[in-house]
Amino acid sequence: MRLASPPGTCAVRLQGCRRSFRTPDGGVYVALDGVDLEVRAGEFVALVGPTGCGKSTLLNLVAGLLQPDAGRVEVFGSPLEGINRRASYLFQQDVLLPWKTAEENVMLGLVFRRVPREEARRQARAWLERVGLRGFENRYPHQLSGGMRKRVALAQNLIVNPEILLMDEPFAALDVQTRQLMENDLLRIWQEERKTVLFVTHDLEEAIALSDRVVVLSAGPAARPVGEFPVELPRPRDVTEVRLDPAFGELFRRIWELLRGEVLRAFRLAP
Amino acid sequence: MRSGSLPDPRWGLRATQAAVFVLLVAAWEVASRLRWLDPFFFSRPSSVAERVARWFASGEVYVHIYVTSLETLLAFLVGSLLGVGVGFAFALSPALSRVFDPYVKVANAMPRIVLAPIFTLWFGLGILSKVAFGVTLVFFVVFFNTYQGVREVDRNVLNNARMLGATDRDLLRHVLLPSALVWILSSLHTSVGLALVGAVVGEYLGSARGLGYLIHQAEALFDTTGVFAGLVVLAGFVLVVDLLVSSVERHLLRWKPPSHVEEAL
Repeated sequence: MRLASPPGTCAVRLQGCRRSFRTPDGGVYVALDGVDLEVRAGEFVALVGPTGCGKSTLLNLVAGLLQPDAGRVEVFGSPLEGINRRASYLFQQDVLLPWKTAEENVMLGLVFRRVPREEARRQARAWLERVGLRGFENRYPHQLSGGMRKRVALAQNLIVNPEILLMDEPFAALDVQTRQLMENDLLRIWQEERKTVLFVTHDLEEAIALSDRVVVLSAGPAARPVGEFPVELPRPRDVTEVRLDPAFGELFRRIWELLRGEVLRAFRLAP
Repeated sequence: MRSGSLPDPRWGLRATQAAVFVLLVAAWEVASRLRWLDPFFFSRPSSVAERVARWFASGEVYVHIYVTSLETLLAFLVGSLLGVGVGFAFALSPALSRVFDPYVKVANAMPRIVLAPIFTLWFGLGILSKVAFGVTLVFFVVFFNTYQGVREVDRNVLNNARMLGATDRDLLRHVLLPSALVWILSSLHTSVGLALVGAVVGEYLGSARGLGYLIHQAEALFDTTGVFAGLVVLAGFVLVVDLLVSSVERHLLRWKPPSHVEEAL
């Protein structure tokens, strides 16, 4: 097993990143501009912002799925070229392959790394057990609930032992109870493995409950981070109980003051 | 009580379907015997059954079934392989698909039957000309479905596989090919059916063997009983092929959620 990088080193650094897209009518839409962001190794950073502010674009830059028009992306000190091999990415959408069983889906990353089948299968079983899906190894995705599919996707991401975990509103589509269970599971696993996490959400409560630091993005176009709030709530946390902490409410009010302005701006700018 | 009187609702359906068949055949037989229908033009079920039985008893029909099966199988395989290959190439290379788009459209819109005489000239009266004819029918169905299947692959699914470390070859094998396979399989009944149409129509237009030839021969001799007997054998053949295709399809698509239509049936 790979050792986590020493704490304090910079896992992800974005400097002056800008990314624009061509619109269908021939214009240019600048999604992100002047983005500076640092994520320390082992840190859990939540990224919040109004809808359409380019949170996913930022994540795609770190993943290497998109390249910035200007600025640079560094991963553990070296400039990122192509796909970010030290990161895995938990998507908002269902991305399991429907023709593969839960176990085969979890194995996928190891199969791509040419790990022998039997070894890959053994590890996939162990990971399915860790995310609470023992006995569901041979189910196809359509035979699993939305929450179970997310667990399979989480196991699929963690089995390749990434140093950085990118998450794009992974639990947005789940019901409240399932969501809180998943959040607690994520925290438990993160506590054990100390991955660097960059977690995108539009839910401020989720952001505070999970993270070490909340970064607020401004409304698009040309979104950029406009505020940073360290979360000094004790760990290990329970996402349901931590909300009752008076410090939680205090922090929520402070961040919301900033975020509300951006949300309103996004709302007015919306076509 | 309910389970006692109706053990399985499908039994009732099967019984009704059989009753319809018996009724139609009986009506035909009676009408023919009473001379409401001229037996010269309409034959009668008992004569047809007797002819079919004789064909199988003497064994003369087997060579025709064998030839038609072989042509169907070859047309299906060659057409599918070409369709998958070209479909992939077009889907993965937008330049290629843009250049050839009008040619594909014209070729597909052309009534394929006009090619039959040319194929007979090029490939002779043997099975090759029928296979070539079937291929032109099968190719386009498989080609369009492969193209669609590859193009419809979700971007996020591809990105997810890439993030997990997939190379281009891995993507092809684990994501693109299975995804296209769903589309190809959904057209399996159509493409096998078209391969058979190619074979039979080809035989009908000029050949020395096959079920199409059998029917054509009978027709040339004004032998209506022979024509109907040929049709009966062909219908049985189609039924068997269709059952085979269904079982292959069920096996390959076992991961798929049952559709609502199937559930309703």
